[in-house]
Amino acid sequence: MENSKRGVKFYSKIYFKIIAQDIKSKLSYRADFFLSMLGMILINVSGAVGFWLIFQRFPEINGWTYHEMIFLYGFCLVSATPAQCLFDNNWVLRYAVYSGDFIKYCFRPINVFFYYISETFDLKGIWQFLFGLIAVIYAWNKLQIPLDAVNVLLFIIQSLSASLFAVAILNASAASCFWIENSFFILSLSSKLRDFAKYPVSIFSKPLRIILTFVVPIAFLAYYPCQSLLRPDAIPVLTWLTPVFGALFFVLSYKFWMTGAKRFNGTGS
Amino acid sequence: MIRVGFLDNMQFRLALAVQVIGNMIYLVLMYFLWKAIFDSSPVDTINGMTFEDTMIYLVLASAILEFIEMWIVWGVGRDVQSGQIVVDLLRPVNYRTNMFFTCFGGTIVNLIATFIPTMIVVYFVAGRAYALSWNLLWFFISLILSILINYYINFFTATITFYTESVWGINVAREVVVGVLSGATIPLAFFPDAFRKVAEILPFQGICNSPLTLLLGDGMAPSEVISILGVQLFWVVALSVVSGLFFKVSVRRITVNGG
Amino acid sequence: MEPVIRLENLTKEFKVLNRHEGIKGAIGDLFSRDYKIVTAVNDVSLDIMPGEIIGYLGPNGAGKSTTIKMMSGVLEPTRGRVICNGMEPYRNRTQNAENIGVVFGQRSQLWWSLPAIESFRILRDIYQVSNADYQEMMDLYATMVDMESILHKPVRQMSLGQRTLCDILAAFLHNPSVVYLDEPTIGLDVAMKAKIRELILMLNEQKKTTVILTTHDMGDVDALCRRIVIIDKGSKLYDNDIEHLSELFGKYRTLSLVLTGKSDAGNTELISRRLADVKAVLEERWPSSDFFEVSVSDFSIEILIDEKKASLMNVISAIQDKMKIYDIHIEEISTESVIRKIYGGGI
Repeated sequence: MENSKRGVKFYSKIYFKIIAQDIKSKLSYRADFFLSMLGMILINVSGAVGFWLIFQRFPEINGWTYHEMIFLYGFCLVSATPAQCLFDNNWVLRYAVYSGDFIKYCFRPINVFFYYISETFDLKGIWQFLFGLIAVIYAWNKLQIPLDAVNVLLFIIQSLSASLFAVAILNASAASCFWIENSFFILSLSSKLRDFAKYPVSIFSKPLRIILTFVVPIAFLAYYPCQSLLRPDAIPVLTWLTPVFGALFFVLSYKFWMTGAKRFNGTGS
Repeated sequence: MIRVGFLDNMQFRLALAVQVIGNMIYLVLMYFLWKAIFDSSPVDTINGMTFEDTMIYLVLASAILEFIEMWIVWGVGRDVQSGQIVVDLLRPVNYRTNMFFTCFGGTIVNLIATFIPTMIVVYFVAGRAYALSWNLLWFFISLILSILINYYINFFTATITFYTESVWGINVAREVVVGVLSGATIPLAFFPDAFRKVAEILPFQGICNSPLTLLLGDGMAPSEVISILGVQLFWVVALSVVSGLFFKVSVRRITVNGG
Repeated sequence: MEPVIRLENLTKEFKVLNRHEGIKGAIGDLFSRDYKIVTAVNDVSLDIMPGEIIGYLGPNGAGKSTTIKMMSGVLEPTRGRVICNGMEPYRNRTQNAENIGVVFGQRSQLWWSLPAIESFRILRDIYQVSNADYQEMMDLYATMVDMESILHKPVRQMSLGQRTLCDILAAFLHNPSVVYLDEPTIGLDVAMKAKIRELILMLNEQKKTTVILTTHDMGDVDALCRRIVIIDKGSKLYDNDIEHLSELFGKYRTLSLVLTGKSDAGNTELISRRLADVKAVLEERWPSSDFFEVSVSDFSIEILIDEKKASLMNVISAIQDKMKIYDIHIEEISTESVIRKIYGGGI
């Protein structure tokens, strides 16, 4: 066993192997596969229907039209995808930590965060992604946003940056279980808040807007990243900073998670 | 099975407090959202509801959904996946009755601990949002029926897990359907007429819309009260029968197949 | 020969909050600085040679797991150090992890929903084992264990015994120099226990892997360990071969007497009366002596005798004077009894 360095190539290779196995095993649960797909579609359809109902009677919200809202909604779903599909194991982290089982992730010669997170791939997140993409394309069309290389590139970069925020929020909320008992409420609260990312942050009062931008950054999940496409004449500074802040928040959340993991020393004697 | 002494338990109180705070955050966001919606509208009143009316309705409706939340589907689902369900079904205690009382007790406690305070707060903050007379009585009767309706819907959904061994999808589907059609996400008054008529005959509106109509309406004719309670009662009975039958069939299937 | 693991004055202290009752207490605790120091491991020094199978024993709460965690690199010591394969494991967690294997009796380390073979393949990649080495190990395993029946089963469908078997195979897969086994036979039936012990012995023999075994099962100790270390309340009580253990207690033997006839078998009342009678006889002959331990096991009365204090033959004749002896067995003191004595503070 040479103590060779394990780089990106190594981790990617292992990652795909583990994920492929997990997907294979998940596919063998047919009922669960279809029901999860159904559930995911239903949630998002009801969200869209909700918008539709509101906009039947109200022409716009705070200066935002129906199609702009659909765009935000779709974008939100797309940027939620990496968090939903790849980092899903965060949702059950507290079970491993509270029971002491978590220690088993600390004995392999690989990064603990990677080892834990790579265990699960959430298949149903794909349906959410597709739904979001369709919503974005539909709204893009209706809003007559020019379909050129620049805009498509902007879309890709901004949605990736936004997804960094989504992952960061999830990581940090889940990692709270390393310090607090009964930490589930943090996860469930932050996920409730994430639901509000599909509304323009301009509807909130200033203090609340600041909290939702810098403390629990849901404003970066859709609102700011979309400005370059939705309001190209008045792009706020924060929109340009999305990728930078995204990377920053992600790294911070990773460090936070790892600090918790390092301090974990299992229960029992 | 109803242990009121539970309220002394610190953990329990913490869990309750957390639930309340979570709901409040949700309400704050709802407030801003609907404020923005009404602000951009040329008229103050939509289908008879002003902004205040809408807020009061949504606050109370979400408070109802909050306290009435039962974790049956997840509990049963997990038991089905682990095989524990067979043990429980074979016990001499009647499974359905046992589940009902365990659930009901918790819900009543929730009702007293979270919903009643919310009601009181709304009353004072919103400047006497509702009358203090007979409507309270109808409201509470309706609420009991709501609990029953929600229970049977949950129980029915939980029974489905006997077949699928999958929980998330089916539970989420239930939550979505109940959430939208009960009027808790968007008041039924805002539905287009055709949709509203359909929603009004379904059991789901019996969870939030019926009790709230009784509470917030002023000077309702007795015939209206009776028709609302009547529809709820109908659904209680119908759902009880349907979910009971479905359960019996499912149990036979499980015990025959050996779980 | 250099030891593969060396513990030097290893100490671990935990700060534990003094918790108070009630709500006021709970809130106060949030800001409290009222800690007490719990010493889980107290100045333990130890050398472990390559290829040894060493039993690490102690009552619950003795500090076994804490020591193992420091040895495997997941916990940092407060004072002193561990040197494993030339490095301090907690300073180089990943590097140290390349050379160790860990098995927990109850918690599988394999991927729950995957067939065992897939887990092995992923581990092969994680530990960067060459294909040749991997194949060699798999072939070796095939000679020891019926692989076909378990290789393609998902771990979640396996019985506890099969799961433990796979966990052990997985732990040795990358040919580590040290393997930590934590209660490997817990919950298994007798046949499975024997199989697992055999497997561990074979792997230790073939691959010269050092094995550190923590267990409460004396069967494991007797079957596998030549050397045992006993730890209690954080301190090392004993560190030597199994044979030397009995020397600690001088010459102890267990005398097993059947004092009731076949027709009275199962007459517990009669047996308890005999127990009282025996105690009376011993008390009379060796007044206020504390070198006997008398107990009942099945239908026989067992007397643990310190032969330095009283001769076996004298005991037998004293009893025979007063009652009829139907059957006699004489045994060396069992490892279990010795250890129980040590736990009880017999040193």
